[in-house]
Order: sequence, then structure tokens, then C-alpha cells
Amino acid sequence: MRTSNFLLLIAIIIIVLSCSSNSHSRRSKIIYWSSNNIEEIEFARYIVDSWNKNNPGDKVTFQPVPEGQSSEEVILAAVVGKTTPDIYSNMWEGDVEAYAEAGTLVALDTLSGFTDFLRERCDSSVIEEVTSLDGHIYQIPWKINPVMLLYNANIVKELGFNTAPRTYSEFFEAAKKFQKDTDGDGYVDRWFGYAEVIVTWWQRFFDFYPLYLAASNGAPLVKSNKAAFNNDAALKVFGFLRELYQKKYFAKERLSARQDVFLDGIIATRFTGSWEISHAEKFKPAGFEYNFSPMPVPDSHKGPVYTYGDPKNIVIFKTCPDPNLAWKFLKFALNEENDLKFLEITNQLPRRKDLNTNPKYASYFKKNPKMEIFAKQAKYVKGTDQSPVLKEVFDIISQEYEACVIYGKKTPQEALNDAEKAVNLLFLK
Amino acid sequence: MRKKIIPYLLVSPYIVHFIIFVAFPVGFSIYLTFNNWNIISPMEFTGLNNYKRLFQDAVFWKSIFNTLIFLAIHIPLQIIVALFLAELLNQKINFRGFFRAAFFLPVIVSGVVVTILWQQLYGFDTGLINRLLVKIGFEKIGWLTNPNWAMPSIAVMATWKNVGLYIVLFLVGLQTVPPQYYEAAELEGATHMQKFLKITLPMINPTIFMVVVLSTVGGFSLFIEPYVMTGGGPLNSTISAVLYIYKQGFFYYHMGYAATLGLFFAMLILTVVMIQKKFVEKDK
Amino acid sequence: MKKTFLYIFLTAGAVIFLYPFIWMISASLASENEIGGLIFLPSDFTFNSYVQMFNKIPIGKAFVNSMIVSSCVTFGVLVFGSMVGYALSRLEFKGRDLIFYIIIFTMTLPFQITLIPQYILIVRFGWVDSYAGLIVPYLMNALAIIMFRQYFKSIPQDLIDAARIDGCGELRIIFGILWPNSIPVLVTVGIITFMTSWNEVLWPLIVIRNENLMTMPQLVTLFAVGGRAESQLGVKLAAATILALPIVTAYLFFQKYFIQSMASSGMKE
Repeated sequence: MRTSNFLLLIAIIIIVLSCSSNSHSRRSKIIYWSSNNIEEIEFARYIVDSWNKNNPGDKVTFQPVPEGQSSEEVILAAVVGKTTPDIYSNMWEGDVEAYAEAGTLVALDTLSGFTDFLRERCDSSVIEEVTSLDGHIYQIPWKINPVMLLYNANIVKELGFNTAPRTYSEFFEAAKKFQKDTDGDGYVDRWFGYAEVIVTWWQRFFDFYPLYLAASNGAPLVKSNKAAFNNDAALKVFGFLRELYQKKYFAKERLSARQDVFLDGIIATRFTGSWEISHAEKFKPAGFEYNFSPMPVPDSHKGPVYTYGDPKNIVIFKTCPDPNLAWKFLKFALNEENDLKFLEITNQLPRRKDLNTNPKYASYFKKNPKMEIFAKQAKYVKGTDQSPVLKEVFDIISQEYEACVIYGKKTPQEALNDAEKAVNLLFLK
Repeated sequence: MRKKIIPYLLVSPYIVHFIIFVAFPVGFSIYLTFNNWNIISPMEFTGLNNYKRLFQDAVFWKSIFNTLIFLAIHIPLQIIVALFLAELLNQKINFRGFFRAAFFLPVIVSGVVVTILWQQLYGFDTGLINRLLVKIGFEKIGWLTNPNWAMPSIAVMATWKNVGLYIVLFLVGLQTVPPQYYEAAELEGATHMQKFLKITLPMINPTIFMVVVLSTVGGFSLFIEPYVMTGGGPLNSTISAVLYIYKQGFFYYHMGYAATLGLFFAMLILTVVMIQKKFVEKDK
Repeated sequence: MKKTFLYIFLTAGAVIFLYPFIWMISASLASENEIGGLIFLPSDFTFNSYVQMFNKIPIGKAFVNSMIVSSCVTFGVLVFGSMVGYALSRLEFKGRDLIFYIIIFTMTLPFQITLIPQYILIVRFGWVDSYAGLIVPYLMNALAIIMFRQYFKSIPQDLIDAARIDGCGELRIIFGILWPNSIPVLVTVGIITFMTSWNEVLWPLIVIRNENLMTMPQLVTLFAVGGRAESQLGVKLAAATILALPIVTAYLFFQKYFIQSMASSGMKE
């Protein structure tokens, strides 16, 4: 009686545990995680459905990458917890090096036909950008979202300008005119622009980093395991941003916790990507007009204006049971037709060299003139440098950015010196 | 024979669980502090490097400083507010149940709800508190965006969330004071203040100690509040012990360093609580 | 006169504690443009925020997950807690004091030290993204054991002896004889365990990354800090309201037990 009772209890516990324990049953051959914004989910569904229709024996299932503070964090957790998908299409270039070093990614150049495919899709500078330090290629350049200056066209016109501000002086001039205390309570409540003030490392993709690439004509942040950003361009960018906050042209308070301030006309500009288009079209008030232009540059700037491309790439994880099949699926997903479909559904740019020349895409850009601005910018975009500690580098810069730009506790030169010192310490290990 | 085994059978699930989820982790944690490990690559023995790094790590010291700021505001505020409201509830009044239930409501609600809510109340432009301030002629305050205000703001919010529990505890304490004591004191002509200091306070001393200990542990465990409201900023002014462990451990996957931080914070908590205990015992 | 002041202070207190919740509910029912200036009730009610929130996140699934996890944890803590509590209070055996000291030690051990290695264990067990990862580490609770031990000590020995004579095994004694006589401690431990488990965020954030397995507070947290709310404030507040709803509803019905349980656990700690 006693023992049987006890056994019963143990049995119950075991049942509870085994019911709950992780049973990843594989109903399909390939599991694919897409990015989790609404448009990309729609595209992933489209592409997976059309693949499965033609290849019923090689079923692919997809799921949007789980919600987290950032998808980078989620993917890292998945790698550690061994719950990675087979294919992931929203990989940040800066992370690939670390994963490749840890042996969690499939070297794609070992798959048949990959090198030819890549050469056809991308020009040599992009191929160089995605080649890892060990000479292998672990990622397919998929899409870019150049960061540009989004502006409220009506406001810019009202302020008496024909174009959006192109240089720092023009930017300051417009900002000064627009800044206002509308309700007369002694506080500025209309700012020329807003950038997220929190220190999260990737926020710097939308202020410091694109401005730095613009000012420096695309210079790297780190080079041969050393900080390379303590230069004139970075100094100018820090100075520019610092002045924007000190003169209250940019809001120092977090505006993101309330409604969309850009569409409400509370701010006039943002540094952002083309995904804003679908958001704006969905929520904009009647008569609202907006457009995009290149990032502002120092007055002395010469040459094309570079920016951060926010490249997101596709990787195959080592946990994938059939990398060749995954590669076959990807070749299908990235063909000319489907890249056009991607463009149409998501308003993001596939990273291919014939984007501006291929007649297939020309009619799309004719219909979407705002997207053409991005496509033209695509010629002058940079990704990130290859380094396994890039996230930390951005984190350090972000800390100094906060101290210098937002709170004015350090001069730009001090901030850059401190950041350089801290970054070089990272490489000492 | 069988009788002898039974007690061990009964406690065996606990022992197994203790070994797996407490004893082993503590030991492994100490071992980890001598290593660098991101789980996906092989572990790398680094000797005392993590400890050296800890002492030079400005953010680590900042997180301790932040916790102290939090405690310096949270503990006194909590005791004063809780005692005050408990005293009021201890009078002969109607609707006591309603008031008690109202004060207790934030205690049971998830911290996530409270932080989302207060993030709005603390908003600079549209936040309710600043709107009130401006209406009565004060300056707006960057509750969560001014590095000097952010941690105090979180401490006030935490007080709002937890104080209901301590009101109830103080109420229990107050009701254990025999009414004769007060009657006797009144006969001798004692003032309100004297009665409070000489009779009430000594009787509820254990409750005060408990508030102090629970708040201390709570202060070092602060996580969801800065995670949702500030992300640790501005200028690291709200980075808490647990948030920093989380950042090192689950953001960078510096498991060795995160374990070192955990070990240190744990020791610190135990030390502080022990000192507090000594204080109370000496008082008696 | 004195009474008037008393009521003024108490009412002010009640307003401070209740108003934010009222604001949250009415803001979640207001239109997006109105929230910024909202003081009390919105001019016209709309469930738009709720509809959007339900479309964006699997909150219903999260509710089920939270129910499963919190129920399993509570069940485990009650069963194991009373087993160990019984052995410690009513049985004589070698090493009893040692086990008692271990339990006290566990109670005072700050969780900061075990957080990292426990996560590594979960990884090694393959319990990342599983209910097991959320449940098993919480199946035992030192405080619950102590409370059971304390309570069982007060139960008359006659009751147990009588059961023994009837031929009851020890488990029968615990669950058949002691449990019906220990309703207060069962309710207290049950409420505290369930509530703590329900409101836990840090551990799920670490162990669960699969949206379909996320608990309710975790999902709402990530929704609040992540980008999917598309900077729509009403939607976030709707999520917060839905998260608060189950526990607040339970609280409205069992208010007295909640307060008593929380207070008595506070006393012991």
C-alpha cells in the first residue's frame, strides 16, 4: 500500500514532466525563421507556400523569430539553447563572425553552386564584406535597409526650404526655425528631430553610425583588431549631435513611449529606413506628406553620401539535417522573381547588384518613387566590420555617446578617446 | 527496517532537488568565476581575471551605488508611509476593509503592469505627474530621463507597489499592543509622540526589522523595473545588480563574469543583512 | 473633527493607490489620440486597442501557459512541501537536523548566485523552451516546507496514532489525515506559490524564447519593450490590463485570504 502509493506519486510527477518536456517533432524537413515584422511574415508565408506547392516531399515550415528585446539576443539564446532553426533570414552581419568562430554555422561556399550564385548576385565589395576572417563565407547577403533622413515635406516647405537639409549648417538652420514651445509653458514641445535616447547598442545604427559613415565616406569602426574611429569624421558627428541636444533641437526625453510623434507633426525628421513607408501609409493623417533624403553631412563634405545599409543576411545553422536542401530552398527564395515579390510586399531592398538596372524592378520603382530614393542610395551603403566583438564595440560607443551627446558630460574628443581606449582593451584578451 | 527508510523516502525528492538545483549550482558558480565561457565555445581558464575585472569595472560599482541610493529612499519612505497609514487604519473607522484592500491592491499585481503604468505617469510631456506639477506652477521633471531622478523615481514606484504589505504587517503589530499600556500612559499625561516612541515603536520593532531586510533583498533583486522603464540608463543610473548580471550573462554570454558578479552580490546581500541583524539585536 | 482628517487622509491614500489602475483601464479603452490628455474617462469607448493586441501577440496561449506552469508549481510545492514538512516535524531519523539546516540555508541563499549555473543546467538538460525548464526548478520551496513543518507540529499526535492503528501508510496520513486538517496552511502556501509563480518574469525571460511557450507577464514585458506595439500606447496598456485581470479578479473574491497569506509569509521570512 505504502510503496504503491509512493510509486503512484512518482509516476504522476514523471508524467507531468514528460508531458511538458521538450518534444521537437519534425514534421517538415526544414525549419525557417523569418524576421517578425508584419510585412516580412507575409513574405515568408508567401515564399514557403509557393515552395511547398512545388516540392511537397521537401516541406519547409516557417515561424517568425520569437519576440525579444532584439532579434540578435533571441538568436544568441537559441544557439546556446540548441533551439536554432535550420535557416534564419534576419542575421545581423556583425554577429556572423562570432557564430562562425564557435562553429555553429554551415560554410556556404562548400555547397555546390554557391560561389557562382554569389558572384552573380553581388559585386566584389559586398562579397569581401561577407567573407569571414577564416576565408569562408557563412552568410548570403539578402536585403538592406539604408538609413536615411525621413522628413515631413509640408514642414520643410513651410520653413522656406526647397529640399531637406543636406549639411550640418542647413540642418541647424531648419531646426532653429522649427523648434517651438507651442503651449507657452516654458518647455520646447516641438523638436526638429528625435533619435532613441536609450543606450541599447543597436540604437546607434540610427544616429551615430550612419552619420559617421556619411561623414567619413564609409570608414570602418575597427580595423585589424584596433579601434579605428577616433578620427575627424567621428569628432564632427559627435559635435553635431551634441549641439542638436544642447540647443534642444532634438528631444532628450523619450518620446517613443507615446504616440507616433512624427506623424503627429511634433517632430519633423527622423533617421530611419524604408519600413517607415508602410507604417506611415497605415497611420498617417490626411494631407500628411513626407519624403526621404540622404543623411546630413559636414559642410566641408565631398563625394557621395554613404550610410549604414542595415544588411540582414541568411545563414544555415549546423543543426540543419540537410544543408543542401536548405540551400536549394534559398536559391528559390532569392531568385529574380521572388526578390521582386519581396520588394513589393515589404518595401525593403534585396541586396543585388542589378537592382537599378534590371528592367524587372524598374516598373516597381516607377510606381514607388520613394523606394527609388532608397535604391539609389543602395550604391553607397556599408554594412559592419568583421569582428567577433562588434556588439561590445557598439555598446562602448553607445555609452560614450550617451555621456557626451545626450548629457554633455564629456567633450566629443574626450568621449572618443575613452571609447577608443575601452575598445582596444577588448582586443587585448 | 522499513520504518527506518520511510523518512528518507519522504525527504528524498527534496534532497535530490537540492543537490541538482542548489548545491551543484553554488559549487559550479564558484568554479565558473575562474573561467571565461560563452557556452557555445570551449571553456577557457583565466584564473583571477574575472575578479580583477570586477574591481576595475565602473559599472559594477555603479550598480552597488545605485542599489544604495534605492535603499536609502525606499526603506525610510516605506516605513513612514506604512506606519502612518497603519495608524490611521488602527483607529475606529468605517470602511476599514475597503481601505486595506485598496492599499493592498498593487502588492498582488504583477510588477510588469506596475512598471508599464508608472512609465506613463512619469512621462515628461504627457505624463500625469508632470502635468499636475505644471498646473500648480512647478517645473517639469525628467523623472526617468534625468540621471539624478531616475533611481529615486523607481524607489518611489517600488514603495507604492510594496507598501500595502507592510501596512498590513504593521497593523498586525499595532494590534498586539495591549490597550492598557496606552491607558496607563495617558493617566501619567504622556503626549501622542511620547506614546508612539515609548510604547508603539518598541512593540513593532521586529516588523521594522523585517521591512528593512525584505527591502534590502528586494533592492538587490531589482530587475523588471529598470528593464522595462529605463534599460539601466540614463548614464547607468538605474542599472541594478540583477540587471547587470542579466546583461553580462544573457546579453553577452560572459558566463564566467556574470557568475562572479552573482557571487559578489550574494555575499554583499548576506553581509548587509547580517549587519542589520546585529544592529537590531544591539538595540534590544 | 479628528475623524474628518482621518477620512481625508485615508481617501487621499486610496485615490493614490487606485487611480493609476483606473487610468490604465480607461486609457486602454480610449482612442489613440485621446490617451495623451486623458485624466479620467475617455469621451468614447473603443475596444480597438484590445482587438489589435489580440492580433499581435498570442496572449490567450500565454494565459494557458501561465496557468499550466503556476498550477504544476503550486501542486508540486504543496505535495513535496508537506512530505518534507511532515518528516521533519513528526518523524525521528538520523540527519533530520542537518536537513532542517540545509532548508534554512537555502532560504537565506540569494538567488543571484544560482541564476547563471541554473540556466546552464537547463541548457544541458535540453529544457530550454519547455515547460520543464519553468516548472522543475521551482517544485521545491524552503519557505513552504518550514510553514508545513510549523503547522503539522500543532496537530495532535492522537490523530496520527489513530490513523496508524487503522493501518494507514505515511502518505495516507499526510494526504488523507493531515491535509483535511491543514486547510489554512494549504491556502496560504497555495496562494503565495501561485502568485509568485504567476508574476515571475526574470526566469521565463531567460529560459523561454519560443513565443508559443511564453508566460503571460513575459509576453507582455517583451511586448512593452519590443517593437511590435508599433508605438501604439493604448495597445500596451491593453496588454497590461489583460495581464492584471486574472489575479485582480481572484483578489476581489478571495481578498481576505490573499492579505492573510501574504502577511503570514512575510512574518516568517
